[in-house]
Amino acid sequence: MQHQPLIVRWSMPITIVALIVLALSPIQWTNWTNWFSAQVRVVISPIAHPITIAVDTIIPPPIADPAASDRERVITQELDRVRTELLQTRQDNKRLNELVDQFSRGAAITPELDVRQIRRPRISSLVGDQLVIRTENIPGLIQGTVVVVDAVQLLGKVSRVDGRTSTVLPITAKSAPPIMATVLLDSEGSKQVLCLLSPSDGSTLRGEVARSSTDEQFQVHVGQEVRLLDNQWPQHAQMLLIGKIERIERNDAQPLRQRIIVRPTVADFRRIPEVILRLPVIDETDSSLHGGTP
Amino acid sequence: MNWFVFTLVAWIAFGLELALIPVLDAGSSGVHPSMTIPLLAFIALYAPRRPALWTAIILGITMDLLSPMLRTDGGSVVIIGPYALGYLLACHFILTIRGMLIRRNPLTLIVISICSSFIAQIVVIAIFTMRDLGTNPLFWDASDQLVSRSFSSLYTGLSALILSIVFFALAPAFGFNSTVPTRFARHI
Repeated sequence: MQHQPLIVRWSMPITIVALIVLALSPIQWTNWTNWFSAQVRVVISPIAHPITIAVDTIIPPPIADPAASDRERVITQELDRVRTELLQTRQDNKRLNELVDQFSRGAAITPELDVRQIRRPRISSLVGDQLVIRTENIPGLIQGTVVVVDAVQLLGKVSRVDGRTSTVLPITAKSAPPIMATVLLDSEGSKQVLCLLSPSDGSTLRGEVARSSTDEQFQVHVGQEVRLLDNQWPQHAQMLLIGKIERIERNDAQPLRQRIIVRPTVADFRRIPEVILRLPVIDETDSSLHGGTP
Repeated sequence: MNWFVFTLVAWIAFGLELALIPVLDAGSSGVHPSMTIPLLAFIALYAPRRPALWTAIILGITMDLLSPMLRTDGGSVVIIGPYALGYLLACHFILTIRGMLIRRNPLTLIVISICSSFIAQIVVIAIFTMRDLGTNPLFWDASDQLVSRSFSSLYTGLSALILSIVFFALAPAFGFNSTVPTRFARHI
């Protein structure tokens, strides 16, 4: 052992350290292992396949309906295939109709601004209170890009753009900054009142409204819509829906200012299957040119 | 140790492992016997220390490459290391106790196959659970895995029983020529 070359003596410890590093290294650093995995499968297949055939011969795989004849089985399989295609086509048709409707509604918010709406799926994992979405390489996607759900429900902003994924900070996340909003006191939106909303419990926003009109007809009450009106957000995002007033609390410190709790129309942002990114063709992030808050 | 014979036997063992999973799977719950652990145990019983450890690493890396993990986003990823380290520790365990074992008895191979499989699976579970502490987009439930892998280890005893007949018959072909000190008998 003492007379072995240095490389031979240290080969085992080096290998063990390398294995520990590889075992605990992040997944994005281990993509190269897929090639080796494929090669190993190529090597194992010539023996695994004959064994599989032999095993299937000895122990035949179970058949769904052993009593059926070959002709009946072929017809059943054909029927299953056609039914599957029919259901897939129906589902696809329904999905495309919904998508067209969503894009139409989204574009109708700011018809004067050319906004690209790109739908992207949410990845299941959740990093802290942020959502991770699969974005790949979308031209124009930058930090601060507005993200919505169901065309008009404001979700939040893109907080980080990676090569393949992006993270979105929902407006309800505890680490999200406060936002200025407006409460629509009537259905036409002719009467509005401003409020500053801050994240509350992870699913709602809480804030105080400026003194509303003394007119009893225009009072803040439960169920009214709250929409974005904040010059920190791009122009095309103004008037996106934040949510509806869930309840109104009494503010003892400032009796003239009511405290409202706003809940987004989506029950849980963390469970949404997909989001829509609103990418302006012309960068509208310079809100000083357009204004937004009175 | 004859590396050519080892490669051939390992190739067949991995082929059996892949081909027999659907047949031997106990209730589709992920409980199935291992074909490579009995091979590892057999080599660790007879081979010199250093070749035995390298054998464990080679078998483990191959098992890592054949065991992709599901990602939460629907894809899969191959992580090299968990099985290699698990097999290495299992091999070290057998090397430590082999002086006290009656090697020619098939029951020995069965028992140490079960024990070494337990050790290897616990290392695998520990590594993936450690990964799970960070941001790990893998489908991983340590308690479920512990249950299924523990039963798989017990099930491995059955494959060890059958394979022990083959391995003991092939022992001369492996060309083991170690002088392992035994506690209760002459050196072999």
